[in-house]
Amino acid sequence: MSTSSPERDALQQRSALVVGVGGLGCPVALALVEAGIGRLVLCDDDLVDATNLHRQILFSEADVGTDKLLAAERELYRLGARPGSIELVRSRFLPDNARDLARSVDVVIEGADNFATKFLCADACFLEGRPVVHGAAVRLRATVLCVAPSGAPCYRCLFEDLPRGAAAPNCAEAGVLGPIVGFAGALMADRALSVLLGDTRVFGNLVSFDGKTDRARELTLSARPRCALCSAERNIESISYDRYTAASCAA
Amino acid sequence: MATVRIPTPLRTLTGGEDQVQAAGDTVKDVIENLEKNHPGIRERLLDDKGVRRFVNIYVGDEDIRFLDGLATALKATDEISIVPAIAGG
Repeated sequence: MSTSSPERDALQQRSALVVGVGGLGCPVALALVEAGIGRLVLCDDDLVDATNLHRQILFSEADVGTDKLLAAERELYRLGARPGSIELVRSRFLPDNARDLARSVDVVIEGADNFATKFLCADACFLEGRPVVHGAAVRLRATVLCVAPSGAPCYRCLFEDLPRGAAAPNCAEAGVLGPIVGFAGALMADRALSVLLGDTRVFGNLVSFDGKTDRARELTLSARPRCALCSAERNIESISYDRYTAASCAA
Repeated sequence: MATVRIPTPLRTLTGGEDQVQAAGDTVKDVIENLEKNHPGIRERLLDDKGVRRFVNIYVGDEDIRFLDGLATALKATDEISIVPAIAGG
């Protein structure tokens, strides 16, 4: 994409919400501002930690202990974000604000570190008719899923519901490698830009990357016939707190 | 023998191997044989209702939920992939 092109002109009229300004959110935000997005909404409430620096590329040692949103905003403007193009939402993506936030943008990109937020993003985006890009990275593996506004397939077609209790993978112990999140973040941004520019071929596409073998596998998902969110038999019609009650898994 | 691709979160159960061979005429048979050589893996994949909610099993590029589930028949050259839900970044 060149500095002046029809695509760049179109992106100046588009907006995106980045849920979580962490290892995935940082490269996503950077890619979107460099592409010239008109409005970028960043959603997070955390402070920069020293353990973030190896993979959260918008932050430096000087930012440790400071507000992530302010640090990210400062760095993005320094790197050339269009004046006034960044909005900050100092909050988690929660049942109380999820639908309003999703409705306010053209695409949602979530790199949340917990399943509750992932499922909340999936539900809010479907209910508001917004496309969503889901990304995750643990240890040497990453997955990226791009979902159409009408789902079919959606995140729940793939993973159905929150893992409960002892069955939940413990990502607090697993760790994650910096280049893996960089790869996943770049792919998430690529999917988001495709969506913003009207390319629907990416919907339903799941990419799974294995950092040990350096192999990426691509699958085209099928919609789950009785998906609780996006099928004709769906029963998720609103955002209900109790649907997302699970322990957070901070990585 | 089917080839089973092991995702990173489960490699602690396979001695670090990202790919193992397992005999079986069906996906269920393969999982049972995996369990014999790699104890604990079955519990990560299955619960009392079948495939765990946050795990997807593919034969080639097909999700077994859209084939015959755990009864999906396998050929010797089939490749089984396990795609667990992960959350991190």
